[in-house]
Amino acid sequence: MKRAVLGGAVGAAFVLCWMGAGIQPSALADPANLRAVGGFARGLFPPDVSPAFLRVVGEATVRTLGISVAGTVLSAILGLLLGVLGTASLWRRGPLVEVDGRGFASALSVGARGLARFLRSVPDLVWALLFVVGFGLGPLPGTLALAVSYAGVLGRVYADLFEAVPEGPVLALHSAGASRLQVFAAAIWPQAAGSVTAYTLYSFECCVRSAAVLGFVGAGGIGAEINLSMRLFEYGQVTTLLAAFVILVLCVDALSRALRGRFRRNAVHGSGVLRDVVELRPMRRGLPILWALLLVAAFGQAGFGALLAPGAFQHLGRFAAQLFPPDVSPAFLASILGPLWQTVAISVIGTALGMLLGGALALPAAAPLMFDPEAAVRPVRALFYAGARLTLALLRSIPELIWVLLCILAVGLGPFAGVLALGLHTAGVLGKLYAESLEEVPPDAVEELRGIGASGLQRLLWGAWPQARETLASYTLLRWEHNLRASTVVGLAGGGGLGLALYNAVQLGFYDRAATLVMVVFLLVSVTDALAHRLRRRPAAETAPDSALTLVAEAG
Amino acid sequence: MSFDLQGVRVVYPGRAGPVQALDGVTLRIATGERVAVLGPSGAGKSTLLRLLNATLRPTSGVLRIHGRDSASLRGRDLRRLRRGIGTIFQHPSLVPPLSALQNALCGRIASWSLLRSVRALVAPPPDEVRLARSALATVGLIERAGARADELSGGQQQRVAIARVLVQDPQVVLADEPFASLDPGLTVQLADLLGRVCEKRTLVAMLHDVQLAVERFPRIVGLRSGRVLFDLPAREVTPGRLQDLYAREGGG
Repeated sequence: MKRAVLGGAVGAAFVLCWMGAGIQPSALADPANLRAVGGFARGLFPPDVSPAFLRVVGEATVRTLGISVAGTVLSAILGLLLGVLGTASLWRRGPLVEVDGRGFASALSVGARGLARFLRSVPDLVWALLFVVGFGLGPLPGTLALAVSYAGVLGRVYADLFEAVPEGPVLALHSAGASRLQVFAAAIWPQAAGSVTAYTLYSFECCVRSAAVLGFVGAGGIGAEINLSMRLFEYGQVTTLLAAFVILVLCVDALSRALRGRFRRNAVHGSGVLRDVVELRPMRRGLPILWALLLVAAFGQAGFGALLAPGAFQHLGRFAAQLFPPDVSPAFLASILGPLWQTVAISVIGTALGMLLGGALALPAAAPLMFDPEAAVRPVRALFYAGARLTLALLRSIPELIWVLLCILAVGLGPFAGVLALGLHTAGVLGKLYAESLEEVPPDAVEELRGIGASGLQRLLWGAWPQARETLASYTLLRWEHNLRASTVVGLAGGGGLGLALYNAVQLGFYDRAATLVMVVFLLVSVTDALAHRLRRRPAAETAPDSALTLVAEAG
Repeated sequence: MSFDLQGVRVVYPGRAGPVQALDGVTLRIATGERVAVLGPSGAGKSTLLRLLNATLRPTSGVLRIHGRDSASLRGRDLRRLRRGIGTIFQHPSLVPPLSALQNALCGRIASWSLLRSVRALVAPPPDEVRLARSALATVGLIERAGARADELSGGQQQRVAIARVLVQDPQVVLADEPFASLDPGLTVQLADLLGRVCEKRTLVAMLHDVQLAVERFPRIVGLRSGRVLFDLPAREVTPGRLQDLYAREGGG
């Protein structure tokens, strides 16, 4: 009875979302749209590899890398500050262990965590949009957007890691009379340093992906070039730029993985990140100078020279003043409701689409299902496996925002394009996570089912699925939270919803309205965050804190 | 169901070169027999068990299960063969998030179509639920039918595994040191239960407990370093032979 009511409610909500997202499957078969997609697909080949353009690609790639390095460094510094302030156990009044929720000290950690939540709830692209107005076009606003938004992510992750250290040494030092900061330096930091490094590297991987996209709102790098080439109908250039982007991401991932050291995957949850120990070896002499030079180069590429220009801060001050007071007139607030609903609907239907498509691709992409240990390797199956893996990699390596541009070609401007774009990218991410979760199920029970005479698909149904379903659900939910933020972003490129409203407000100079819209995005994300947190119950003792898992899911 | 092994060798590809687990085993087990296999750790007992339940193929030599060469079977025929062979492991690997009842139901899985396995996961057919419940009642676990497998104690999990064999209703039961992780009181209890369950079936048990083997099994096979050291009626197994079986390498 209760289940029926719940099922009915979920079904009704889904239908409402379906309507809100403006789904028109017929648009996919429209001849004019098909011609546009066909023209695009033909135009992608041959890629433009003329020396002059390769030079442009090279410069854009270096700039993107510079933006992401500088953004990561700044976000780690800011995040460390927020993380230390947000570690509640450090700032409690009185004895360190006594639970006391009141007083100035705990207000400090609540405030730091709140600020971190605000910074990460507003999508990086929205930050970039605002900073572009504040600082002018160029790489600097992109870098600052990354710094601010990833400081929010890392602040939370660091605080969670600091709070999760074994408390024995903390209590021992505290009872010996150490001050709070001494406790942090001597007992908390050494225990958490390995994980902090590992997660900072994860966030670097995410930053590189984001940096390439920030160019779409005028922040330079690969994204700006892709945007320009799309507008000039130079699709051969788009191919080259996308290839450069994928190569950059692959190189950074490989480097980051090598730095993270031996990375042991956890059995079921795919999150054994906390167990991998990152050795912090002392640097060899001469290397620090090299690193410092590289860092200066990165900050140079990231456009920090612009800060030295006269009047840079006055301009920013004028812009910041125009954001206040936010427009909260009833008429404007009422006009937001439509786009707000559309944004939620885009995220829900997009996630559902990604779940279905990703799930369908995950089955052939899971090795134990395709390669029966007792059967000879079948070439057809191997082909399916490789094909599924490649498709998933392609789907997820192209950012949502670029998918939007392609989907607009296919179905025209509007929320449906946003849904398709989210769905395609999400399928790539979820499909990989699903396949890996299925692969990492402990094999013993599945093996016993084989001994009883269960077929491959039966072993999946009765052996692997019951053990993996909670992980799969948890990843899907995490991805939906991500998609809620992403669905405001796809709006910026013409995918409807709050993003479109925000883009229009900024372009038309209604900064007070833009401020209101940013607050609405923040509230929306916070509310769903809290909801999802309550929904998510992972019974098995988890080694990694929730926030850290999010980062892993996002880097995936 | 009968087993017929002729010069069976099994070689695993090891990290430091190939490892020979079984070295020319010739053994015949007739329908309805009760055989205990004894031997020190590493003698090849578990490998022998995996051969008998057809999840491992001999590297060389011939293994006939019920007159059919196991290496020649594939896909559906192989699964049909396995359906007739029930296995109980030392640490039974039940599917952790499934209930005791669902794990017992798994015994029927080989006779389900794919569609039926999907349905059975959500709403199992009532007649099969009755079967599984009566099996759980036989092993004395009916009041824990709804509990998740990973909430059960080791002994309880072992009993669910026996219930699953009951539901499977095989002609042969293979047991791999089924009592090794239990305390002595439970061992006697479960050995009785297993004996009752296997009254009309072929039973092959890999055992550590010599006394248990000699008391309850009419035929004893001694396995050492992948070879059959002796194959005798229980009353002819002398302390001297057992000493040879368990003697340390190099006469220690």
